Amino acid sequence: MKKTLILITALALLLSLAACGGGSGGKSDSSDKAYVQDKGTLVVGITDFAPMDYKDADGQWIGFDADMAKAFAESLGVEAEFIEIDWSNKVPELENKSIDVVWNGMTLNDEALEAMACSNAYCENAQTVIVPAEKAGDYATEADLEGLVFAVEDGSAGEEQAVALGNEYTEVLTQADALLEVRSGTSDAAIIDLQMANAMVGADTDYADLAAVMNLNSEQYGVGFRKGSDLCQALNDFFLASYEDGTMQQIADTYGIAVIDQTAAGK
Amino acid sequence: MEHILQQMPIVLRSLNAGFLQTLKLFFVTGLGAIPLGLVIAFGSMSRFRPLSVLTRLVVWVVRGTPLMIQLLIIYYFPGIVLHRAIWGGGEAGRFLAAAIAFIFNYACYFSEIYRGGIQSVPAGQTEAGLVLGMTRPQIFFRVTLLQVVKRIVPPMSNEIITLVKDTALARIIALQEIIWAGQAFLRGSNGIAGALWPLFFTAVYYLIFNGVVTLALERLEKRLDYFR
Amino acid sequence: MAFLDVKGIRKAFGGTEVLRGVDLTLEQGQVLSLIGSSGAGKTTLLRCLNFLETPDAGSVSVNGEVLFDAAGPAARREADIRRRRLHFGLVFQSFNLFPQYTALQNVALAGKLLAKEEPEFRGRKKQLYRDIDDRARQLLEQMGLADRLDSYPHQLSGGQQQRVAIARALALQPDILCFDEPTSALDPELTAEVLRVIRGLAQRRTTMVIVTHEIAFAREVSTQVAFMDGGVVVEQGPPEQVIGAPALERTRRFLESYMSS
Repeated sequence: MKKTLILITALALLLSLAACGGGSGGKSDSSDKAYVQDKGTLVVGITDFAPMDYKDADGQWIGFDADMAKAFAESLGVEAEFIEIDWSNKVPELENKSIDVVWNGMTLNDEALEAMACSNAYCENAQTVIVPAEKAGDYATEADLEGLVFAVEDGSAGEEQAVALGNEYTEVLTQADALLEVRSGTSDAAIIDLQMANAMVGADTDYADLAAVMNLNSEQYGVGFRKGSDLCQALNDFFLASYEDGTMQQIADTYGIAVIDQTAAGK
Repeated sequence: MEHILQQMPIVLRSLNAGFLQTLKLFFVTGLGAIPLGLVIAFGSMSRFRPLSVLTRLVVWVVRGTPLMIQLLIIYYFPGIVLHRAIWGGGEAGRFLAAAIAFIFNYACYFSEIYRGGIQSVPAGQTEAGLVLGMTRPQIFFRVTLLQVVKRIVPPMSNEIITLVKDTALARIIALQEIIWAGQAFLRGSNGIAGALWPLFFTAVYYLIFNGVVTLALERLEKRLDYFR
Repeated sequence: MAFLDVKGIRKAFGGTEVLRGVDLTLEQGQVLSLIGSSGAGKTTLLRCLNFLETPDAGSVSVNGEVLFDAAGPAARREADIRRRRLHFGLVFQSFNLFPQYTALQNVALAGKLLAKEEPEFRGRKKQLYRDIDDRARQLLEQMGLADRLDSYPHQLSGGQQQRVAIARALALQPDILCFDEPTSALDPELTAEVLRVIRGLAQRRTTMVIVTHEIAFAREVSTQVAFMDGGVVVEQGPPEQVIGAPALERTRRFLESYMSS
């Protein structure tokens, strides 16, 4: 009798939690832009991800995304505040209002477009295959990849490519972990962002013993806001303006990034 | 090796900052959970049945679910489900949410240890106090408490050492404690990427700190050795 | 009215009635021994006198003051009980000394806590505490423990612990001192020293109620003996009568079985 009671109580608790969760189909009833301007800070959710967002020697956040975020915040008349988040929690962080924007070289895939209000694409990216440098010559075409065990970041665009290839793969927490898997020989190859590979893999980098051998697709980076946020349009306008007056290109040159023509964007 | 020596100052600065968060969380949790556990213990021993049943139910839920889930619920539930972002986005909000989750979780574990400790003090001690005209609070604070403390120091030591290591769970809500700081050098941070050794090196911090905690608790145990 | 007057005490635990209407009287300066087989209700009666159990029926009065009356309204209020129970002192079978305190601290603790309720405690604290410590020291000396004042309970023998417990009960100057089988947790050679102390208290005309299995000692030290059986006092009177020449068959049978064992 007692046990049944406990079970029923536990079930009721779970159900009520689930019911609450169901009601979370959040819609911002007032302007997100006004909310941000009201509190005076734009909280930018990032990870430590060179060359998009990373710390300089003084511990200040720099990088192409960081500098653009600062400029955008300034255009809104607020301060940009950078907060490191767990990348897999980016959507809850937005909905929880613990951050206002995800701005960290985010690939515009279906999941991102579904879960967030996404800006126009601002940067070309690709998913690229990384193998130990001494084996780089063995891989020329996609057919050569057959039988390889990949390491990919859990929930990343790289994982989608591994699924598409039909190879066996291991999910790890970060793209850097994926590189570590290859270096330690626990996986044959990794699939990571081209932008990251450019900065971290190959001669004269931290992963000089690894090499990028081929791109599997082409994709684009965008910025994520809460669903229905009017900040998204504000950023698109800002992107266009800064592309036209050359500031965007100037920042891109600082970090060696190729940006997308914003006058043609949005289509 | 030379590589590591070059990286050492940068890594240590970052790990120290992370460890400061770890220590803060550890001490705040201890200071909050040790007294709160006593309140919960009294609740679960209450002769008012609805209170004791409710308290035990809460303790069962908190002890029966992973602390990691509790952290996620406490941090995300208000903003996402209730549409009231009470924590804010900054480090302070994350720390507060983590501290509350840790205090509550550990208070529930402590309460069970306290309960066992209190119930293991012979009833004759309370009766002797009553017969001597002491009030119940006087009996608890002057007679029972120290005997309870003596009995619970060993099991509490275990929990406290576990707490030191459990603080690492707070990184699930992006509290940047020492493991987070160590992992950052894997992803790339401060110009160092793909370095695994800082993550391994965090173990040294835990080991040294747990050594200090163990010594302190052993001293406490020794100090209570004067009676049986 | 007798100094201690116990009337019609009843007490049941669950469905079992342990006391079925106990009547007892005792004059000041007298020593009453309660004898009887285990389960007769002796200890429960003693616990009722000390308010460790609340009787279901009956009354207890000391020196004309009604301390407990099951029919009265405030019988169960703890705050009321606390002061009234100080008319009684209780020495437990298992001593129940506070292990974290020295012998002296055990004896002085309750007095110091009660002193806080005295008027103008703050101003007189030092003096009050000094008096309480002096009295505790005196009592322990009287118990033959002058050299063990600063010993902790675990450093003392069972007999010494029980003597500290007696001093602790005496420290609050109760009207009636109760003993619950004070020697049954002790080895025979330690029993003697405790009995010697109780004998000394009897000579100083301390009013006492003693639950004991030491029939010979009860006969020697008591002015009154009460034989309990089945939750009632079957026979009460001077020891030479109740132990020496019991009127009832039940008493005789108990004493016979006791002597032969």
